[in-house]
Amino acid sequence: MKKLILITALLASPLFAQTKEKIEVPYVAFPIKMGKGFDAVQANCLMCHSFGYIINQGRQSKAFWRGKIDKMITHFKAPIGEEAAKSVTEYLYKHYGNGKLK
Amino acid sequence: MERRDFFKKAAVVAGVAAVGSTTAEASATHQPIDNRKVSDVAFPEKRPLILYSDRPPLLETQRDVFTSILTPNDQFFVRWHMPDIPTHIDPETFTISVNGLVEREINISLNDLKTKFEQVEVTAVLQCGGNSRSAFTPIAGGIQWGSGAMGCATWKGVRLRDLLDQAGLKKDAEWIGFNGSEKAAYYETPEFIRELHLEELDDHVILAYQMNGEDLPYLNGYPLRLVIPGSYSDSWVKMLSNITVTDEYKHLFFMDVAYRVPDNECECETPEKKAPKTKPITKMNVKSIIGYPTNGGKLSLNSHVVVRGVAFDDGHGIKKVLVSTDEGKTWQEALLDDGKAGRYAYRAFRFTFKPTKLGKLTFMAKAINNIGEEQPFANEIKWNHGGYKYNGIDEVTVEVI
Ligand code: HEC
Repeated sequence: MKKLILITALLASPLFAQTKEKIEVPYVAFPIKMGKGFDAVQANCLMCHSFGYIINQGRQSKAFWRGKIDKMITHFKAPIGEEAAKSVTEYLYKHYGNGKLK
Repeated sequence: MERRDFFKKAAVVAGVAAVGSTTAEASATHQPIDNRKVSDVAFPEKRPLILYSDRPPLLETQRDVFTSILTPNDQFFVRWHMPDIPTHIDPETFTISVNGLVEREINISLNDLKTKFEQVEVTAVLQCGGNSRSAFTPIAGGIQWGSGAMGCATWKGVRLRDLLDQAGLKKDAEWIGFNGSEKAAYYETPEFIRELHLEELDDHVILAYQMNGEDLPYLNGYPLRLVIPGSYSDSWVKMLSNITVTDEYKHLFFMDVAYRVPDNECECETPEKKAPKTKPITKMNVKSIIGYPTNGGKLSLNSHVVVRGVAFDDGHGIKKVLVSTDEGKTWQEALLDDGKAGRYAYRAFRFTFKPTKLGKLTFMAKAINNIGEEQPFANEIKWNHGGYKYNGIDEVTVEVI
């Protein structure tokens, strides 16, 4: 019985993929608030993920944003210097902050 | 080349992202965010879904899909960790290798997998450990999912065990490492590799090439992914390319730091006092979601409403789903489907109800599994820093007109 199934499977499966060509993952434009420090975000934060990934965290404290940048550096080895880390923190806190330092 | 393109395009002002709208005040757990709009952009082989990010692609299924046992492939959620995923894989030349502490290294083509091994099928729920993370306050790190980072499909493939037998495990083999094909954008960023201890492997673990009778969609791991029924999706490695057998556990970020909960009875901690010890999230807890009606819907007075949804756990199986229309004071049993899809699948439930009062009406659903575990109320769930394993009683509020 099992053999039979095997044979039909062999006959019936010339390999063809559902998608024959390369797939195109669309680029999606996320709403970005322009302002001082965004250049640092662009240079340091968009290499590994989209802007959407960052702002999905919602409005957060200054310490929260700084903590995320530190996490990027320690866990994911993001090559981000102290100057840039400061500018990104200021930018995120100003535009996506909740008014609290901590 | 493409990457540079990405920088440029990412900086456009306009868009459709699911921006977080968590109001992080009171520190109690609540219903996950449920008002996110479906994007107007469709990703390959998908209908438009709720979009969090394009690189890596992160897409959530909308609530109203959860009324039947199987989640259609084109509505199935998508979660990757790294921005670079292969956009073309040739099924004629693709092979999966098994190497390391084995008697014979093997490279097996898709065709061989489909013809030279016993073919097996399992219907199983795939859920992200961080599904419903937006229920936690203060905010827990990671994507702020609503309730749709989950789905259930029939997976077809071959047993991992059969593949390992073919290669022949050496005596000191202990850990099996699985590499996906997604790539970090920066060479020092840890890669997404998972390891399973041999003891964790049972015959239900399969390498699947098919999902609901079709090829796996690219974004769900074409051409081959690991299926570990009952476990959260972080261990279901996608676009599997390599299996390495070792005798020693390698320390890996996505094993040692991510996807872990406090190692204590309540699996909880506070932001001020994080738990000193953690453990992997592994098995899923009991959960249910109402697929119809949805929040903000309108129902007619005295009409015959059939509330529908799905319930699941890690394989003990669902015993009952209860529904309440009076804020959890009293509960009534919903009807369950025949359960023939197996213990790892969704159980679909339905509950008929006739609204006899005008105004707001809230349905709550609570699942109980075969070992008596039941869902707690949303606000009884304690916080953990990763926002994992939320399984609060689901609520949907409609208006009776
Ligand atoms: C070297 C790669 C890399 C760089 C550069 C990087 N990140 Fe990340 N980031 C990651 C990875 C990897 C994740 C987690 C992905 C996952 O778990 O799927 C992440 C996740 C996040 C998250 C989600 C929350 C969380 O805790 O996981 C935020 C917010 C974030 N990054 C912000 C930033 C900001 C701001 C910058 C720029 C200062 C930045 N990232 C630069 C790799 C990077």
